[in-house]
Amino acid sequence: MLPLSLLNAAQNKPMLVELKNGETFNGHLVNCDNFMNITLREVYQTNADGDRFWKLKECYIRGSTIKYLRVPDALLDAVKEEQNRAREAGRSARGGHIGGTKGKVASSSLPKSYTVQKAWDEAHW
Amino acid sequence: MSSLQGYVDRRVLLILQDGRAIVGKMAGYDQKSNIVLSESKERVYSIDEGVEEIPLGLYLVKGDMIILIGEIDEVLDEAVDLPSIRAEPIPPIRY
Repeated sequence: MLPLSLLNAAQNKPMLVELKNGETFNGHLVNCDNFMNITLREVYQTNADGDRFWKLKECYIRGSTIKYLRVPDALLDAVKEEQNRAREAGRSARGGHIGGTKGKVASSSLPKSYTVQKAWDEAHW
Repeated sequence: MSSLQGYVDRRVLLILQDGRAIVGKMAGYDQKSNIVLSESKERVYSIDEGVEEIPLGLYLVKGDMIILIGEIDEVLDEAVDLPSIRAEPIPPIRY
């Protein structure tokens, strides 16, 4: 699984970001790109020593300054499930066997974010 | 061509530039050696206390920060009594 697929699936989920300088940012992911530049909302910023805090409405973090991100555990299974579904859909679309799309259409016509959201709702941060 | 593919779904040890040692299962990686680690734990080494394992959960570590990735021999690793290990922590890289 690609790190960026995990990050994309983490949209609107809580996450912790530590920068290379040791500062940390806790907030909900608003958006991200392939450079791992991210925007967070409702952010709690902590300095490297962990003794000073700031509350930010929103912030933008350049991807190259990030050390690591911590995301909800439930996201891993959600992304794996979504990938299996996409693979299945691709196979049946290419016509693996006649009449094989019965019953699969229903699941693949669900919005992409559905399973991710569902798995998230069932678990908790 | 060297590849990380052989490490996928295995337990690995990451050493980061700040000296941290993180163990976890490698769930994925990309061209830039960004790593997805599940069930990850930080191993904190010190001279006057045993090794402490701090659970971290699902981590996405940037490739820039990684110094080494090593596969863990699970049998060997489980035989190690971490609380009895005393060791100097790895200092962070200084430029």
